[in-house]
Amino acid sequence: MNHSITESLNRSISSSLWGDAWRQLCRDRIAVASFWIIVIYLAMALYGEGVFWYFHWQDMAPPYQQTNLREEYLAPSVFRHPFAMIPRVNPGAVSSPAIDYRGQPAARSVAARFRVGLRTLAHHPLGTDNLGRDVFERTVQGARIAFQVGIITSCIAIPIGVILGCLAGYFGGKTDDFIVWLYSTFSSIPGLLFILAIAMVVGKGLLGVYLGIGLTTWVNLCRLIRGEVMKHKTRPYVQAAHALGLGPFRIMFRHILPNVFHIVIITFSLRFPAAISTEVFMSFLGIGVQGEPSWGIMISNARLRLWQGVWWEMTFVTAAIFFIVLAFNLLGDALRDALDPRLRTSER
Amino acid sequence: MSLLEINNLHVRFSAGHGHEVRAVNGVSLAVEQGESVGLVGESGCGKSTLGNAVLRLVPVQAGTVRFEDQDVLTLAHRDLFHYRRRSQMIFQDPYGSLNPRIAIGAAIEECLAVHRLGNRAERKRRVRDLLQTVGLDPDYAARYPHEFSGGQRQRVGIARALALDPVFVVADEPVSALDVSVQAQILNLMKDLQQARGLAYLFIAHDLAVVRYMCDRVLVMYAGAIVEAAGVDALFACPSHPYTQALLSAVPDVEKGLRARAAGVRREIVQGEVPTASSLVAGCPFHPRCPYAMDLCRAQLPDERAVGPGHTSRCHFAGKLPPT
Repeated sequence: MNHSITESLNRSISSSLWGDAWRQLCRDRIAVASFWIIVIYLAMALYGEGVFWYFHWQDMAPPYQQTNLREEYLAPSVFRHPFAMIPRVNPGAVSSPAIDYRGQPAARSVAARFRVGLRTLAHHPLGTDNLGRDVFERTVQGARIAFQVGIITSCIAIPIGVILGCLAGYFGGKTDDFIVWLYSTFSSIPGLLFILAIAMVVGKGLLGVYLGIGLTTWVNLCRLIRGEVMKHKTRPYVQAAHALGLGPFRIMFRHILPNVFHIVIITFSLRFPAAISTEVFMSFLGIGVQGEPSWGIMISNARLRLWQGVWWEMTFVTAAIFFIVLAFNLLGDALRDALDPRLRTSER
Repeated sequence: MSLLEINNLHVRFSAGHGHEVRAVNGVSLAVEQGESVGLVGESGCGKSTLGNAVLRLVPVQAGTVRFEDQDVLTLAHRDLFHYRRRSQMIFQDPYGSLNPRIAIGAAIEECLAVHRLGNRAERKRRVRDLLQTVGLDPDYAARYPHEFSGGQRQRVGIARALALDPVFVVADEPVSALDVSVQAQILNLMKDLQQARGLAYLFIAHDLAVVRYMCDRVLVMYAGAIVEAAGVDALFACPSHPYTQALLSAVPDVEKGLRARAAGVRREIVQGEVPTASSLVAGCPFHPRCPYAMDLCRAQLPDERAVGPGHTSRCHFAGKLPPT
């Protein structure tokens, strides 16, 4: 074989284990779909963040907080104007309204009619609630809160779990005893009670949510990391690192941690939806987010109006929660398949 | 003064419930500069533990290890760190001893960095030199261990061990996990490196042919103790301990085997098992399996006795046994 061809072949197979896992993940259609769903939610959350800060900076009430009693209980736009997108082929037909939703004369040309139709549908696309606030805008804000909760609680819980797990697994002995005692104590307290207690101490609001969830959900990760580190500690490569004179912290965090890091990634993707649901639950109980439209608050409000036939608020919020939680769980499973060598099969 | 002197070394592991395993039980040995000393014995006789104890990878209960006239076992943090540069290890398992998440170049460079040898550019160059020395393409530095064959990985392991320029290397069965065809390459590489750098090896093996090829002196270990020590030629020519004799006769040799079969002679194979290292046998540890065992062997632990120049044996009847 030609030398340059061999060389390029060699290049193409040269890869790290992370690269292999990534390629395997890309072959998994469900994982890719879940990934894109998460990206869409992330975009929504970022948009919500932008809206929030823009109106904060302008010192104005953001659209999702503006009450407009003239527009209360509007159904989703498709239900209000089912034929908005059908261009009027035959001018003068009875079915098409002569005026649009603003009471202005309807456009005549097909293209203009199409534009007006789009604008009609974009006006409160998912309807409004009892105060005439846009359900879509509020759901987007809910996504923003959900991502904040997911990310910030992970930033609290994951470092605690990883560091304590590494220390316990690597040093063993007294350190291990202490950390095992610590997480056993934590896990013996019912999670929600503990979250409620923390939320009561630091007060209602997002800080309580962050701390409550962050300080209670590190236990599982810590346990997993501890076990894996214990297993890796006896591997020859760790012994080799010892013999080369590398220090314990370098061995722990540079040599062992990358080999157990897939657990962190999997745990992150699985605890993210758990954190979101916990936030929803806390907000539903009224000790969570205050004065901002989180999904829990929206459910809590929508529940009161469900019997009036106002179904859209509840439907869209629960659908939003459903899809993000489902996407994260499916992605978590796919990540475990791709990253956990024990479950890895040779051809897939 | 020898490069490495071990005196009456004991390594014991707790096996729970108050039991302990005596992995190394009163071993004394010396390794000279540039010499390669073979350590043979069956699985579980404590040879790897001895190698690990010399590098302070396992805690030692009693005895002394002196390296370049320093007591290794009491070295404080800084001196231990320095000792790591002088003595290194080549591991048995070429698959497990390299971190799968670190590119091999980075792995070698890391030990240079930790020991503060040279600046970044010098270290990079040194990594390339080392890879070249062990017969690998320097461009492989960016690759990960799983992209190499067993023999290539063992070369990487050797390069890493040599990165710190040691004078003494413990080679813990460096070729036993490799194909026979690759074994010879690695052994030749180790021999060449020994000549070029004046390395001393403590070569742990269970393959007698490998030891015969590599070593100047051989120590035979049984149940945590050295039962026979001799120059390589003397040991293979006239083994004086029954265990050594049994080991040698157990070596498969195609031609000899065919001749023996034609003559109707059966090979002598040691029966029984190694006494579990936790339960001590009274007397000579080999007596339950020894074909020549007498009452004396069951009662009294034999002392080390000289059989020839530089040839010692721990057998009551050393030199008086029928030659094999």
